[in-house]
Amino acid sequence: MALAGLTTAECVRQPIYLLLTTAAVVLTGIAPMLAMHQFGEEGRLARDAGLALQLTIGLAVAVTTASTALAKERSEGTAGALLSKPVGRTLVFLGKYAGVAVVLLGFSVCSLLATLMAERVSERFLELPSFTGYVTDYPTGIRLLLTIPAAYAVAAVVNYRTRRPFASVAFRTLLGLLLAALLVCAFFDRAGQLAGFAFEVDWRIVPASLLVTLALLVMAAFALAFSVRLNTVPTLAACAALLALGLVSAYLFRGNGWTAALYRVVPDWQHFWMPDALRSGGRIPDAYLTSAGLYAAGWTTAVLAFGAWLFRRSEAV
Amino acid sequence: MIAPSQDTRRLNVVSTHAPLDRNGSAPCACRDQGETTEMPANPATGWAVEVDGLGKIFTDFWHRPKVRALDNVTFRVPAGGSVFGLLGPNGSGKSTTIKILLGLLRPTSGSARVLAAPPDDVLAKQRIGYLPEESYLYRYLTPRETLSFYGRLFSLPPDECRRRTDELLDMVGLTHAADRSVGEFSKGMARRVGLAQALVNNPSLLILDEPTSGLDPIACRQVKDLIAALARSGKTILMSSHLLADVEDVCTELVILHNGRARAAGLTRKLLTQSDRTRLTFPSLPADTLKRLLAAFRAEAGADPQVDHPSLNLEQFFLEVVEAASRSDTSPTGATLGGKPAPFLVS
Repeated sequence: MALAGLTTAECVRQPIYLLLTTAAVVLTGIAPMLAMHQFGEEGRLARDAGLALQLTIGLAVAVTTASTALAKERSEGTAGALLSKPVGRTLVFLGKYAGVAVVLLGFSVCSLLATLMAERVSERFLELPSFTGYVTDYPTGIRLLLTIPAAYAVAAVVNYRTRRPFASVAFRTLLGLLLAALLVCAFFDRAGQLAGFAFEVDWRIVPASLLVTLALLVMAAFALAFSVRLNTVPTLAACAALLALGLVSAYLFRGNGWTAALYRVVPDWQHFWMPDALRSGGRIPDAYLTSAGLYAAGWTTAVLAFGAWLFRRSEAV
Repeated sequence: MIAPSQDTRRLNVVSTHAPLDRNGSAPCACRDQGETTEMPANPATGWAVEVDGLGKIFTDFWHRPKVRALDNVTFRVPAGGSVFGLLGPNGSGKSTTIKILLGLLRPTSGSARVLAAPPDDVLAKQRIGYLPEESYLYRYLTPRETLSFYGRLFSLPPDECRRRTDELLDMVGLTHAADRSVGEFSKGMARRVGLAQALVNNPSLLILDEPTSGLDPIACRQVKDLIAALARSGKTILMSSHLLADVEDVCTELVILHNGRARAAGLTRKLLTQSDRTRLTFPSLPADTLKRLLAAFRAEAGADPQVDHPSLNLEQFFLEVVEAASRSDTSPTGATLGGKPAPFLVS
């Protein structure tokens, strides 16, 4: 617990984590307001953009946090100080993963909230008692984007008055403000008029985002295992290559013979990329979520076991 | 103006039965010929550290041999109140030895035991404190969070952890900066946090890698006083340094490493004593008395004694000046380390 808490605290206090989360929220938020010529697919594009940003920026978050948790500890010597204490190497490795996982969950929740609101912002045809026509829910988009400067302002004041770390306070405030913004949206309809309490968001995004989060957790396990021997840039390159290979592995390797063996040693990321299932009112079945969860758990366990074995064999300097 | 110390009025008389070397000191057999003086056995408390024929070859990414850091090093550190020095120039293998003792590196040959257990024994590490060569600290944590984190790794109850954190922060003079990020600290302040974290578990064996590195002369003196006080309270201390004065001041025993090999080892006093010389120190003498005494020495010992006034070393002189200045200064700055251990370390 102490190790996981330390890893989370160290990662969340790094400016890069706040910047990546900010980038994900801002890009997700402005996408539906700037996009043109969407051919009636506005909602889908906002949803796909949000989930794609969660996956790609999440990959960067997974690599930087895993690298901070292990590779940077090795290069800066804190790993040596830590391993001189009465904690086993396997426990250290798993504690680091737990910390990285908490950080990724925090990022994913921010990204999910932004995607839910961005999808609501996207233009659509409405028939309301007061109005009929195409509407873009700009007020929700503005509330979503305002969470960023508001969180930064709160963090600046807190930092000035109490010296608490800016980045972690800003992140926690951003998370709270995104939740608050979603709640506030529920009091307004899509035309921006006060209405009865109703979220009017596409909750089907939640399981799709959960699948992406599972992918990120598997990727974090890989990044942590790579970080036992590699520094940040090689780890990022290895993870990006793994992502690219895993996205096409079903097409390249699925079949019989030796290609089937290759398919089994590369995680198939397509299992976690299900936005297309939401087209035309579709849903992601619970049974699929369960099987994808088991697939992710299997990969995570295997990669962590390999990483812990590598870490036990490695020298701490 | 600085008034001359009383000590400068004292006279030193050194009889010279043996020829002096170019530096004015007699050659020491142990030092020059790589001999080892007898290590004291300590059957009552045993050995805190046992190193036998230790060797370490570092390899590259492909596991090809790159450099031999240690070659057949053997020494023992007695448990219970001793201060043992690992002395040697940069790159001599001091830090490698320490990292092997902590289980951070694996020896290529030979063996090591720490507190009667293998170096990677997790339970034995409950009783070990370690200050790394650089103060490797989490830059985004505060000193209070750092000590609390390490305290939790030792499974200290929260109240006890808090008490020790407060006492250690007070000991290293960082109470006023307890809630600032360590990343903002100067090297000296970070070193103090490093020292505090090494003591949070009230260790039986304290391993200090270059403990005075990055500290000013006053803080160096205070750290050395602290080491002496901890040794008096029964802790075993193994420290590495390339600063000869540090080792000479506090270490009761030492081993000298060079190019990964132990070149000399033994009791510090025994290694440094020039047993073929005798020193007599008097209060300052009138010229006539001195002349008569020298004549008597010549007649009795048959050799010309060397006569001079003893002098302070620069560290003593510096500390006297700063102490005098700080007595008259009403607004002192910077952190000060008391040189006294935290109460829980000696209770």
